Amino acid sequence: MTSIELATSVVLSKECGLAIINSKAPFSSTYGKDALDVALIFGSFEQKVSLFFQGDGVYQLIANQDGRLVSIKDYLKTFSAFEFYDIEDIYVCQQSLVNRQLDEAFHINDVQVLTSIEFGLALNRHQHILRF
Amino acid sequence: MSTLHLVRQSAFATNDFAQCLSVFDHQDSIVLMDDGCYSLKHSLMDSLLKRVDGTLNINIIASHAKARAIETMATINHIDMADVVDLTFNHNKVITWQ
Repeated sequence: MTSIELATSVVLSKECGLAIINSKAPFSSTYGKDALDVALIFGSFEQKVSLFFQGDGVYQLIANQDGRLVSIKDYLKTFSAFEFYDIEDIYVCQQSLVNRQLDEAFHINDVQVLTSIEFGLALNRHQHILRF
Repeated sequence: MSTLHLVRQSAFATNDFAQCLSVFDHQDSIVLMDDGCYSLKHSLMDSLLKRVDGTLNINIIASHAKARAIETMATINHIDMADVVDLTFNHNKVITWQ
């Protein structure tokens, strides 16, 4: 192996697992629910899954929401099951929160708020990415 | 001639709210509904509220805002869907931004 090939293989071996990017608000479309279903399916097959919340997707994590008021089954409550599926890496884009005047008050624990640069780096550590 | 503007999409996700404000007349009214409720916290709304010094008729569907855990201010009207029907009769035209 040349040094370049070696370096490439080291970099590649660091990339692992699936990243799911959530970029849509929770109630007006099924994107959030679909992303949740995919995350839990990969989790049940013991695949490593990380969740990323960016843009309007950050609204999915905000506390004190109630989908029943708009006749929607509140799938957000299922987010509290993440630890049982070993989904532990949950990242939120800080800039998206700031733009929307949102506090870091989430309805689940262990959410990591990252700056735009950290968010990008965390995303690039993954081998596969799905965006909803 | 007044127009009722029904804003149904988040100003953070689409350009709709900016387009709405570009055609907005001082006698018009705005209703924020569905994801349009998120526009309340957008900087476009901040500058709109500053510009019109409280004479503007801005409404929000209370249940839609509450479902999304959006904090509303007392300066805007909290309404329900029945009130939207009344508003459509009080205006000459309706534009739905979606």
